[in-house]
Amino acid sequence: MTSHDIVSLLVVCQLAAPAATLLLVGVPTLLGRPPSERATSRIVGGGFATGFAAGLATLVVLAARSFRPEIVHLGSWFSVGHHEATIELVADALSVPFVCFSTGLCALVNAFAGKYLHREPGFTRFFLLLAVFGTGMNLMVLAGSIDVLFAGWELLGISSTLLIGFFLERGNAVRAAMRAFATYRVCDVGLLAAAVVVHRAVGSGDFERLFSGSWPNGTCLVPATTATIVSLLLVFATLGKSAQVPFSGWLPEAMEGPTPSSAIFYGALSIHAGAYVLLRCEPLLEQAPLARLALIMIGLGTALHANVVGRVQTDLKSMLAYASMTQAGLIFAEIGLGWRVIPLVHVVSHAILRSLQILRSPSALHDRHELEAALGGHPGADRWSVGRWLPESVQVRLYRIALDRGFDQVLVGRLFTSPFLRLLEFAAALERRWLALLGGGANDRGRRP
Amino acid sequence: MTATTDTCLLAAAAITVVVPLVGSAAMAMGFRRGSPRGFAVAVAAVSLLASLAITLFWSRSDSASMAFGAPLGGGTFVCIDGITAVLLPYVALVELAILLVAPRRSLEQSAVTRILFGAAATYALFLTSHPLVLVVLWCATALPTWISVRGTPGGRTAARVFAIAMAAATVCMAIGSVLLLVDPPWAVAGGSESVSGGSASLSGGWFGAAGGWLVAVSVMIRKGIFPFHSWYPALFSGATMSTALAATMPQVASYTAVRLLIGHADHPEGVAAELVVLSQLALVTAAYGAALAIVQRDLRSLIGTLAMSQSALVLGGLAGTLPMELNGAFCVWISSGLALTGIGLVSWALESRAGPIRLDSPQGRFWDAPELAAFFLLFGLAGIGLPGTLSFVADDLIVSGSLDEQLHAGMLVILANVFAGIAMMGGWFHVFGGPVVPDGPRHAILPRERGALTALLATLFLLGLWPGPLVRALDRATGRLLGVPGRIAVAPESVRPESFGPESVGRGAAAGLQDLPPGR
Repeated sequence: MTSHDIVSLLVVCQLAAPAATLLLVGVPTLLGRPPSERATSRIVGGGFATGFAAGLATLVVLAARSFRPEIVHLGSWFSVGHHEATIELVADALSVPFVCFSTGLCALVNAFAGKYLHREPGFTRFFLLLAVFGTGMNLMVLAGSIDVLFAGWELLGISSTLLIGFFLERGNAVRAAMRAFATYRVCDVGLLAAAVVVHRAVGSGDFERLFSGSWPNGTCLVPATTATIVSLLLVFATLGKSAQVPFSGWLPEAMEGPTPSSAIFYGALSIHAGAYVLLRCEPLLEQAPLARLALIMIGLGTALHANVVGRVQTDLKSMLAYASMTQAGLIFAEIGLGWRVIPLVHVVSHAILRSLQILRSPSALHDRHELEAALGGHPGADRWSVGRWLPESVQVRLYRIALDRGFDQVLVGRLFTSPFLRLLEFAAALERRWLALLGGGANDRGRRP
Repeated sequence: MTATTDTCLLAAAAITVVVPLVGSAAMAMGFRRGSPRGFAVAVAAVSLLASLAITLFWSRSDSASMAFGAPLGGGTFVCIDGITAVLLPYVALVELAILLVAPRRSLEQSAVTRILFGAAATYALFLTSHPLVLVVLWCATALPTWISVRGTPGGRTAARVFAIAMAAATVCMAIGSVLLLVDPPWAVAGGSESVSGGSASLSGGWFGAAGGWLVAVSVMIRKGIFPFHSWYPALFSGATMSTALAATMPQVASYTAVRLLIGHADHPEGVAAELVVLSQLALVTAAYGAALAIVQRDLRSLIGTLAMSQSALVLGGLAGTLPMELNGAFCVWISSGLALTGIGLVSWALESRAGPIRLDSPQGRFWDAPELAAFFLLFGLAGIGLPGTLSFVADDLIVSGSLDEQLHAGMLVILANVFAGIAMMGGWFHVFGGPVVPDGPRHAILPRERGALTALLATLFLLGLWPGPLVRALDRATGRLLGVPGRIAVAPESVRPESFGPESVGRGAAAGLQDLPPGR
């Protein structure tokens, strides 16, 4: 067995392990015989642990070969004419450490959630969605073609939406889930269009036809125009999931979901999915200064916006959401500056810190009391040192802007969402009138299915 | 193609059609042995097995298509090709699922009679390419629907609108078909005058052109293409779910378009004018319908507008000129049909337990019926491109194909996709989200419902995870549609068939033409 075969087997294992847990828990649940709480968390946790172990083993094999990238061809999914969707995975210095990191984090959150959600009515649902997320994340990270990446990306969005709306009985949770889904859906257009452009440009979605060389020293293989178009579309696609301005409004509301999912999605992995995609396609960005400039401006704008708004939040989870947004913005700016390793380190370190903070957030009051007891009084209040240098009128104005979360969401609502919905309502009303006219004003009361 | 295979195919085709027809007649004459559901399910299962046999025999044969009977107007009485082989089991599966999930009160003797008769007519329609037979079967498929809607309490508006639409569509279709027969563009034997620059030129007269346009208009009406779309959501609102699903999910108008219009797209510019108009309006309808679904106030209207949108998307893709687009359209046909059937059946099961479902505010049904909620969600996701389901493949193909062809067409497809996704998830959250009713009723799913829904879902996932065989079969079919222009005029004398046998279909599949390069 060659090292290629070993790596191929391990990579498939990283992908198959969380996916298999979906079947093991999902099928019996669908057939009306859900496994017990303990069995559910063990099965899903086992899948993540297996994926993590396979990831570590791959890392060892790759390290022994100086991290030379390994392409794993799993064949053609389907093909029509010149359009071929291949199942291609890549194991390299970017994907394998990221898989270890993500599956490890998923396994830890899985262990935490097993206790945290004990006897919660949606226990099995949560773990199923966690398995969907883990599968999607690994699919996206290991993707060697834009088709596979898109599949993983979609699974991430769907699991995220359903976990935001996990507490279905809460109106806010349902609204937040819908808002997040709409944002994802709009931004996914970018990735879909990018996939089409890539197929047209190189005849398939394989990354090896777009750029060559091992990460982080890849070289772009397509003309600058194509690279710019694809990069701009990718930047647009990543704005939604990474909550960048002007698509950031959903993130604080997304904290309506269970704490473990908030930690792993909006503190650790999902919010950095966009950064990962951009890092994966870095050689394209290298050839697209326009896209990089856009990244820097959007990233810094988001960081500034989130930093200011986050300071006036009155609940801990919202504060943490804005803190995540700030760091994600900075990571975007770093990628725009052409850095490769620093954003990756930033992603990993920020993800670990933030997920820990979010997981600890329900115990914040308890922690605070312990801290006060240890200090023998109130700890000193946080002060915004930079803000104090500003004139008082500016401080007041900034405070008002921050209280209204920067007005950006109000603007998006007034300029786009509300007029669009009003237009649709008008069209629907016209349809009803037309139907009544066609139907001759027949009285249809008392209908039964 | 051996004689044995021919015989087996014909026998399977006959069983597919005759068994439900006889079943319907037996029901009408008062046959009582067991429950009406049991009888109807057995009949539908036989039809499904027979249709699967057709698929099996066809996939093992060397020929792309088979025709039986005398050719007329470019079609034959019985025509079995890739389109039939792929779509017939899909239609049979939908019919079987409807019969399994339908509440008991919706399956009294007369309803079963109508359902089985409608099913037989639909199967027969999918087995023919003969214009006149198609006209007759259009009426035969619409009649049970109209009778059923008219008899549904509160269905008067829907019945009237449906009657207007179907009457107009049938008249257009009948006149159009006759005009095409009088002045058939495909039968104009062309010598050198009909071949210019390597592509066929229009050589049909005014009657033929008018016939083509009338058939296109009839397809538009029957498919609910803007501005003739109002009957589509009205049918879902006013009829029983079984009637609405059985009338819309097979998409008989799409099939007619494939048989009568797509193969005639040998315009010098690439596509016949009526197809261009049809395609553009269909794509606009797809986006409009999906957007309209976002603001619907009840679940049936939501399903109706989404069905209208997806149906239009199919036609938009079918009227394309690239194999990818056509393949995508066929995949959307099957995936959206199965997904919407599943959603319709789940919502019917919910309604039969707890009454009509509004979408004005969250209804909180999750805690009443968590299993139905899970099925609704999975079907909804399977309808909007969940990776691992057929709709993911379908979306990939139709988006890529339409963007390849025209940027604005691609953008309309993408918009339809985005809006449909938002509407579908919004629908799920509105139906199942919301406050819990303390000590409210709990509605368990019945075993027959679970079985039918699981089978539909399994089909969607299996075809999504292993789309290869389906896509290859469709590729054969679309290759014939695109690679062989309908007119025999383009064929050199040496390869023009003298007669039609089992190896050839009148329009567009004449022996020796299969190897022509795509010329649309």
